[in-house]
Amino acid sequence: MKNEAEKKVKPDVFTTICISIALLVMLFICSAVCAIVLGGLPNLALAFESEEVRFAVKLSAATASVSTVICMLLALPTSYALTRTNMPFKRTACILLELTLSMPYLLLGLSLLIIFSSDFGKMLKGFGIKVIFSQLGIVMAQLTVNLPFCIRMIRTAFSDVEERLENVAQLMGASKFNAFITVTLPLCKNALVSTFILTWSRALGEFGATLMLVGITRMKTETLPGSIYLNISTGNNSMAMATAIIVLLISGTALVLSNLLIGNGNQGRTGGA
Amino acid sequence: MRNPILEIRDYSVRRGDFLLKKINLSIYKKEVFAILGKSGAGKTVLLESIAGIFPPAEGSIFLNGRNVRTIPFQKRNIGFVYQDYGLFPHISVRRNIEYGLKLRGCSRKEIEEKTEYMMELFSISHIASQSPKKISGGECQRTALARALVLEPELLLLDEPFAALDYSTKKKMYSELKKIHDKFSCTIVFVTHDFSEAQLLADRIGIILGGSLKAVVNSENLMNGQYCEEVDIFLGRK
Repeated sequence: MKNEAEKKVKPDVFTTICISIALLVMLFICSAVCAIVLGGLPNLALAFESEEVRFAVKLSAATASVSTVICMLLALPTSYALTRTNMPFKRTACILLELTLSMPYLLLGLSLLIIFSSDFGKMLKGFGIKVIFSQLGIVMAQLTVNLPFCIRMIRTAFSDVEERLENVAQLMGASKFNAFITVTLPLCKNALVSTFILTWSRALGEFGATLMLVGITRMKTETLPGSIYLNISTGNNSMAMATAIIVLLISGTALVLSNLLIGNGNQGRTGGA
Repeated sequence: MRNPILEIRDYSVRRGDFLLKKINLSIYKKEVFAILGKSGAGKTVLLESIAGIFPPAEGSIFLNGRNVRTIPFQKRNIGFVYQDYGLFPHISVRRNIEYGLKLRGCSRKEIEEKTEYMMELFSISHIASQSPKKISGGECQRTALARALVLEPELLLLDEPFAALDYSTKKKMYSELKKIHDKFSCTIVFVTHDFSEAQLLADRIGIILGGSLKAVVNSENLMNGQYCEEVDIFLGRK
């Protein structure tokens, strides 16, 4: 009786509209993914055989890994300073970070180009640090694009950890650093894993700033997105689609890995004093 | 004349829009002191100020004659139990209790012995390996007390320690607190909004309303003291 009555209850108009829009959004996203999969699959073997594509995969993975590690190393203390200290110009720093987040990446690349073309850049070149048109430039572009994003994610994670837990830890004998390592970090472990993987995926797909700072030179500064762009520009659409499916596979693997790590983190216990 | 462990002199602190105004108060060694007031009166802010968590806007708080802010956090020898207990959710009950001992460089044997002793004392040995997320309110509270007391603090600060407990657990914990006080001989300052709880457990009571300390009385005189109108209304005498 009850089930029949429940079946008769129709969802309200608002719920119906929301579900319909959600289904349309899913359809749209699904069609984008399907376009890559269907277009890329027949040429996947060709892409793996291509030396250029293999170079692009290696270069993208290496630069993304380096820039992500640097991002995390810089973002952790910066986020701590922004959430837990009374650092000077805190508000200005937050506005600046938001601004860079909303700026087109091409513009960030342009600003890097101006900086590294200046006397400062020339001085660095004198010391053997060449940024423009080099692989180091790719790392720099990824870092510039991702750092504000990474800081924002970690800031949010730190803000979600109750400061009183750190106070309790300190009253029990922990230094600020100890409290950070034994309380704050383990409590936002999942968010940190997500941030790492998302930052890495974003770095892998970075194009605008990289294009502006280092350009795309075959077998030198050819990242995966750069490779897709070059192949499309030269009319090699099948290779472009195959490269695109490789990017999709890497991103998908990263996402699965992230979910696995976070899932395990939820089940087990972390750390100790 | 008893020695004060804590002297609060003209202490003011601002937290957002809230201002704790010119508090003057002495708390004596081995005393049980209740900070009584309604929600939003500034009780927790005062308790956190005693622990030296906030920089004052004015005035000072002295712990054994030393300005609490000049004593490094880890050397204040203060135990703090928050209303929500402040247990570390990512580590087990046992590890929560061991936390401070490890930081103080105790030997493995000493850590084990002290932790076992506290867990037995508070009847929480059966939940030693459980996460604080999976235990009851009463167990959380006993864990938080064990964690604070294992370090043998001179001053124990309790923020509304019984507010989240059901009636029977509350009754049990009242006698637990008395036992703790007898056994550990520490000074206890606790925050409450419950008159009967304050009267039952404390030697003296400080009434705090609107960020000001309105009166300090012996607990037996709480209901027959001479107060300003605001306190009379709070106590339900007007």
